[in-house]
Amino acid sequence: MISLSHYLRIWLASARYSLVRATMFRADLFIWTSVELLWISVNVVMISVIYSHTPSVAGWSMYEMLLLVGTSMLIQRFLMAFFWSGIFEMGRNVRSGLFDFILAQPGDPLFMASTRKLELDGLLNTVVAGALIVYSAGRLHLHPGLGDIGLYACMVACGVVIHYSALVMAMSLSFWITSSQGVEGSYFTLMEFSRLPREAFHGIATVVFVWALPVVVVSNAPAREILHGFEPMWALGLCAATAAWFALAVTFFRCGLRRYTSASS
Amino acid sequence: MTKYGQAFVVGLQSNLVYRWNFAVRSLFWFCHLILIFILWGAAYSGNASIGGYSFAQTLTYFAVIFVLQFFVGAFNEDYQISEDIRNGLINQFLLKPINYFAYRLSVFAAARVVSGAFGLLALVVALPLFRGYIDLPHDAWRVAVGVPAMLMTGIIQFSIAYIFGLLAFWFLEIQGFVVLSMSVEMLLGGQIVPLDLLPGAVFNVVRFTPFFYQAYFPAAILTGRKGLDFALQGLAIQAVWAIILVFLAEAVWRRGLRHHTAAGG
Repeated sequence: MISLSHYLRIWLASARYSLVRATMFRADLFIWTSVELLWISVNVVMISVIYSHTPSVAGWSMYEMLLLVGTSMLIQRFLMAFFWSGIFEMGRNVRSGLFDFILAQPGDPLFMASTRKLELDGLLNTVVAGALIVYSAGRLHLHPGLGDIGLYACMVACGVVIHYSALVMAMSLSFWITSSQGVEGSYFTLMEFSRLPREAFHGIATVVFVWALPVVVVSNAPAREILHGFEPMWALGLCAATAAWFALAVTFFRCGLRRYTSASS
Repeated sequence: MTKYGQAFVVGLQSNLVYRWNFAVRSLFWFCHLILIFILWGAAYSGNASIGGYSFAQTLTYFAVIFVLQFFVGAFNEDYQISEDIRNGLINQFLLKPINYFAYRLSVFAAARVVSGAFGLLALVVALPLFRGYIDLPHDAWRVAVGVPAMLMTGIIQFSIAYIFGLLAFWFLEIQGFVVLSMSVEMLLGGQIVPLDLLPGAVFNVVRFTPFFYQAYFPAAILTGRKGLDFALQGLAIQAVWAIILVFLAEAVWRRGLRHHTAAGG
């Protein structure tokens, strides 16, 4: 049984390599950090424009909405920083046979495949998303206690796990199909729904985006924790969704792995 | 048939091979429209109009923007051009009496015919769901002015993508620049929010940038957001930008070729 400290050492070695590599290509790092920053700004501008014409959207004020968007982006940026590149390359590696190198490494294949790269630009932008959350909370005169902040952090972590699981499932399709083209687009398209308040969804949209897909609960649950304090139903719903999606992702990945036949020469 | 006509036909055939890519893109388009429907539906709740426009007019605007993108938007032309340069494929064009800009424009036109057909198909499928929310004006002049505006939008979009693709003469990796510019283009092109909802002073500045003519301008004409005088003035400004960008593309091409080293066989 490989211990937790062994995995931590592996991850630290990968993180150190990624950071050295990122600092070697400083211009690239600067551009990609700017890209992320600009996309966050685009979302802020969109919300500002909408709220310059209406005082509330689905009962949410502008700063409540910015807090929600900030939370959604924080979760997404954590995913981008810690897992995105590794998971995204998984599909390509399965097709090319380079996945053999992952299987030959000393650890669980899913861990080895998904944690091998740390993206510094994504990590830097979590600071921007965090700043947006702090600014919005300040404008709303919110003073969350340490317990609330701790719960918020746990809920954000749950959100990252759900995003991670969804992406692993999508990329695991590469074990069955030859091309997972469009997965990136479908992920970003779906995650756009996480920037909307739960109250905006009605009818069939509630069934799809709130109950069937966890895109709304991942961002709304932590944002509501800061806005309205602890709400057991939201917290329980998020925990259940996290456990279910992670279990599903691991099972799906393992089923796919059984189908994998090395393609290398 | 001229050599560029042949390039158009070959482009048509090769794009039909990748019809699933366009089908997937149509699906994303449909998801985006649902997102817009939910977001703006919530914003309009309790408001008969926003910025002087009804919910139906706003939804129609976004539907037209998306269909326009299928007909005249540059999708990955910048990437294709940068790949031609990076892989040395551009060398074959340097040895033949072919204008690379005209060749790429022919392939772009062919791709847009195919993607436009898919865009229309997606619209036809989506129409029953959004029936009652589509509000198009019936003035004949809007089509007469809107069609040349659309064509020039295509030239502007293509020229900008072409210029970004040519950056590969100087930089190994251009995707960062492309995504960076995409966020600006989407915001100032009116794909995030209708530009007439921006403050008047900002709108009047954006009006003189090429981004304004990348999506908003033809959509504003076709959906009745602007009158004839504005449309004719805009058409003149758009023509100036189209000419500037074509000349700029040629200048960047000439300058880039000085950096180019045609190595390999």
